[in-house]
Amino acid sequence: MNDLINDLYQEIILDHGREPRNFGECEPHNKSADGHNPLCGDNLKLTFLLNDQNIIEDIKFTGEGCAISLASASLMTEKLKGKKIEVAEEIFKDFTNLVSGSDEDLKVLNEEDSLYALKGVGGFPMRVKCATMAWHAFNQALKD
Amino acid sequence: MDNSKTLNLNVRKDFPILSKKILEKKDLIYFDTAASAQKPNTVINETNDFYKNHYSNVSRGVHTLSVESTFRYEDARKKVQKFLNARSENEIIFTKSATEGINLVAQTFYEKFMQKGDEVILSLIEHHSNLIPWFFLRDKYGVVLKFANIQTSGEIDIDHFNSLFTNKTKIVSLTHLSNVFGTELNEKAISICKDKNIPILLDGCQSAAHLKIDVQKLGCDFFVFSGHKTYGPAGIGVLYGTENLLSEMPPYQGGGGMIGDVSLEGASYAELPAKYEAGTPPLVEAHGLGIAIDYMNKIGFDNIIEHENEITKYAFNKLNEIDFIEIHGGDNKRNSIISFNIKNVHSHEVSSFLDVEGIAIRAGHHCCQPLMKHLGVNSTARLSFGVYNSLEEVDKFVIALHKCKEFFNK
Ligand SMILES: Cc1ncc(COP(=O)(O)O)c(C=O)c1O
Repeated sequence: MNDLINDLYQEIILDHGREPRNFGECEPHNKSADGHNPLCGDNLKLTFLLNDQNIIEDIKFTGEGCAISLASASLMTEKLKGKKIEVAEEIFKDFTNLVSGSDEDLKVLNEEDSLYALKGVGGFPMRVKCATMAWHAFNQALKD
Repeated sequence: MDNSKTLNLNVRKDFPILSKKILEKKDLIYFDTAASAQKPNTVINETNDFYKNHYSNVSRGVHTLSVESTFRYEDARKKVQKFLNARSENEIIFTKSATEGINLVAQTFYEKFMQKGDEVILSLIEHHSNLIPWFFLRDKYGVVLKFANIQTSGEIDIDHFNSLFTNKTKIVSLTHLSNVFGTELNEKAISICKDKNIPILLDGCQSAAHLKIDVQKLGCDFFVFSGHKTYGPAGIGVLYGTENLLSEMPPYQGGGGMIGDVSLEGASYAELPAKYEAGTPPLVEAHGLGIAIDYMNKIGFDNIIEHENEITKYAFNKLNEIDFIEIHGGDNKRNSIISFNIKNVHSHEVSSFLDVEGIAIRAGHHCCQPLMKHLGVNSTARLSFGVYNSLEEVDKFVIALHKCKEFFNK
């Protein structure tokens, strides 16, 4: 099988694509945003609960999409649960760099991280939006 | 089968891009002609030659280059007129795309013939290009839009369509060939409009390169298509409209080239077709479109149709045999387009997987989100064919599909 495809669809991606974790709506929640990829129609709704110490206590998503967008959302929720907002923002920056193909200068992510599995998206520029949809929704929710 | 193979051999060499290797080793199999067609050498070389040897602005100066450019631009118009069998060159307006053509008609037809509460009939199958320009009329002016249902066969439900007409219906706009299903518009839809004396616009984006178009026989009042889907350049489109309607409707954009006489108090407008062509037009692209039309004519539409029908039928039958494939739009005849899904695999995965095999297909909603919603899917994979495709490519594609299914269901 082609390396690019194996890099893109690592086992963990296929697994999370098939069975996304933290799928559903967070109740109660105080932050939410919709993610949407107008090019293909994929969409998701992200909800999370930010406590008074600025820690993401719980985070969930629903939606429909390709394996990459579902896996990315699923891995994102796993990664962000329990994190302080400042840390989450750093991860967001690192992740966008990672999937656009530059993994130098990463501050908080490293190869041990499950999010690293999405690095293969860099080989498919048209799929970067699939991988970042959930993250942009997260970023949006912080701004609202 | 032998026939089509001969035809393949004859035209593949005309398209330099077909010798490109994808990811440095895979032969390119281009199954995305419905999104945009590849360009033959004649179009590439002739547009180059225009810039090198003849280029200037059109209809502006009297010097030699201006004459040469104007001649080429107007010659392209003649070719388009013959291509569509329009009555006169005055009925051929160059636009930048089919999209612009539809916007032009929506705006100017409204201005002349419609008011708040009047109705436009569209269908569920339309491309966003044939929806949003009409949404603008609804949002800005209170025009009412009605949508004909479609049947599972991918065709417009004619009875439902017929029931949508009222004495407020002013115009109908429908796709001539569905970019999702590949199904052709039932001629009855046009004859119903004729009987009721309601103008009809046909979105010919997908039909222009795949069916023999005769606007007089079709009986449509407007017909639009884009050059880039007919083996010509992007940036040029065509609006055909009957001289009656185009004369009565007001100009679309204002600018140079569309005027009769201007003073600070006002302006009179140019005669057709210049009236609708404000500003410097995409003149080289228009010439390229004319060359693309020559190219298609040289192959011959009978040959094109026979060839594409054969490939489409062959691919349909192959896909239909595969139990993990769901084809959209029933069993009826398709022209050069097939939409499908692999069960439980998102079309994006299919497209990325095929991409590394060198196969280009389209995945997504195909700018038909209301239709996707109706089908209950969020996207489909789409195969579409052009003159350069072959049965062998379909065979390779089918093998790749099996590999794809295996990969994602491992
Ligand atoms: C049926 C149909 N209508 C309209 C369009 C829009 O064409 P263009 O973007 O060239 O204006 C397309 C192209 O995707 C199409 O397939």
